[in-house]
Amino acid sequence: MALTRREFTVASLMGVAAMSGLTVAVKAQGTKTIAVLFDGLYSEFWVAGIQIIRDDLEKRGFQIMEAISDQDDNKQFEQVRAAIAKKVDGIIIVQTDSNAVIPAIKAANAANIPMVHFNRPPAPSDAFSVAIQADNQKIAREAVLHSCKVAKESGRKHQAAILIGDLGDPNAIQRRDGFEEAVGQFPDAVEVVARVPTEWNADTAFAGLTNALQANPDISFVFTSSDFLIPQITQALKAADKWAPIGAENHVIFTGFDGFPAAYGLMNDKLMDACGVQNLFYETELAIQAILDLQAGKTVEKLLLDPGFAITQDNLEEKKEEMWGYVLWKKENAG
Amino acid sequence: MTAVPPVDVERARARPTGHLRLARLVLSEYFTLVLCALYLAAVYPFVPEMLTAEVAANVLSDMMPLLVVAIGQTFVLVIAGIDLSVTAIISMAAVVGASVMTGTGGYLAGSPLAVPGAILAMLLVGLAIGAINGLSVTRLNMPSFIVTLATRMFFAGAAIWYTTFHSASSSIADLPAGFTAIAEGDVLGVPVTVLIAVAVAVAAHLTLSRSRLGRHIYAVGANPKAARISGVPVARTILITFMISGACAAITSVMYVSRMQTGSPIVGENILLDVIGAVVIGGTSLFGGKGKVLWTVFGVLFLVLLDTSMKLLGASLFAIFIIKGGVILLAAMIDTLRHRLMATR
Repeated sequence: MALTRREFTVASLMGVAAMSGLTVAVKAQGTKTIAVLFDGLYSEFWVAGIQIIRDDLEKRGFQIMEAISDQDDNKQFEQVRAAIAKKVDGIIIVQTDSNAVIPAIKAANAANIPMVHFNRPPAPSDAFSVAIQADNQKIAREAVLHSCKVAKESGRKHQAAILIGDLGDPNAIQRRDGFEEAVGQFPDAVEVVARVPTEWNADTAFAGLTNALQANPDISFVFTSSDFLIPQITQALKAADKWAPIGAENHVIFTGFDGFPAAYGLMNDKLMDACGVQNLFYETELAIQAILDLQAGKTVEKLLLDPGFAITQDNLEEKKEEMWGYVLWKKENAG
Repeated sequence: MTAVPPVDVERARARPTGHLRLARLVLSEYFTLVLCALYLAAVYPFVPEMLTAEVAANVLSDMMPLLVVAIGQTFVLVIAGIDLSVTAIISMAAVVGASVMTGTGGYLAGSPLAVPGAILAMLLVGLAIGAINGLSVTRLNMPSFIVTLATRMFFAGAAIWYTTFHSASSSIADLPAGFTAIAEGDVLGVPVTVLIAVAVAVAAHLTLSRSRLGRHIYAVGANPKAARISGVPVARTILITFMISGACAAITSVMYVSRMQTGSPIVGENILLDVIGAVVIGGTSLFGGKGKVLWTVFGVLFLVLLDTSMKLLGASLFAIFIIKGGVILLAAMIDTLRHRLMATR
């Protein structure tokens, strides 16, 4: 029987539709899919974070639907709705704004899809989601306390600068508070003379610290709320002739936060005194387990804390294996 | 005066060769709609969810804010200008509106006038920035590209600065339910945002195709000197066009703020490529004098379909940028080709 061109076209289209429908049906019966929605990959922390999540999910046999919103809350909301339409089994999200993510949580709630916030909690609301967060305040406090003790042992009073993150980010606020708590215990050894707002922007941080060093040439104690600012801090301190290892006359007592590979490198080179470390491996484990538990109908707390730890010159050898930055640094420097 | 016909249809009918058929299709005002259908057919095997009611509803909802701001941009492109400040207008209007109605220290917090007051403030912000753009172009003879680039930078920064006075965080939340209902509500099953966008589109279409202002806009875009000689108030027309663009951006801001339930100084910051791209893909000429609201609707539809399919495919951000950029570049090239073809006929 001869087919007309129209019949052939219609039959082909129906065939394609049937095949794709079959593909979806087969996929639906097989592996589960987790949407991983980040707002950007603008530092090693987030690059390492998404890679660890990918590796862990693949190891467990999940499929991954990835999207980056480029710090656009509206786009991320649309990505959440696309994930819902794709009928994913869970959503791991890093939002830009803690308030603007609430409609996305409500949409996930309405679709009965568990949502977990990785490392950045949402603002309080009646919507339900689980947030994994480092105990920023405690980790920052412990790291800065070590540096304060170093300052006290030096026998002189140090002028300090803190590089503060975006105040719309609860992590930034908690790290600042941890720093203030620690230096508050050593009023005779540390005086804070510069609080530099960075808005998590490297250029802003560099300009701010440079200005602070010009206005206060005696600054000898620096805390950064994130290690991603290390290159800018290094540059500013070098320009001010304050980039020297521990023991040198012009050494600035330097405390980091996050646990970047660069931070480990500086610790190893005796250029950094202490660093607050977020345990990325543990946070990933918590995030995925929370989704599995929510899918299984178990009760999960709205906030799951990563206790993290402070790595210092005193415990570097003992704790470095737990530091994600060291694991990456070791890979990069292998051989 | 109406839009210039894109092709000499009669001549095309007389000699329907293969090349001419292709030229007729490319030059047709429904070309983008045909592309939408072809694109849907092409991606359907990979993303069958594209043809579900849920995704269709998402596409419609995602289209509305972009459509309104793109309609405003259509007016500006028709007069051979460009408005790069629309994203900053969206951001500025968002934080000003939120600061008026927020329950946490808003100027009209708790008042029944909070929502209408905030919407009015947002529209005034759009109109005011549009007026600054328009006056700079007409009174100072500055190119619209430079003027709107400058106002974009100025008001994007001003929005962040303004937020610091009204919130301890980076955005203004705690907005009244009456306002957030704009994004969530519907009238007889039709979402409120769709009704708003349709109203804006119809008003814009009637303005461009049936009013004296519309005729003036096309005349200014086609040839401002000839328009001036013919008695068209060129300066006033340009000023009004930029104010329309500002007002449309402010309406988009209302939609975004309502949807995100937050006034953020960076809302809409990244959509400039989508706004201009959608208008150009639709077929509105970058050379001025040619454009229709319906074409912009098609352009927005195509871009949102592209975006939605990429999201469903889980495409990476750089892949989305490359594909979108490529499509917009292609649309701009087709526009140039059309312009040349029409010049030779």
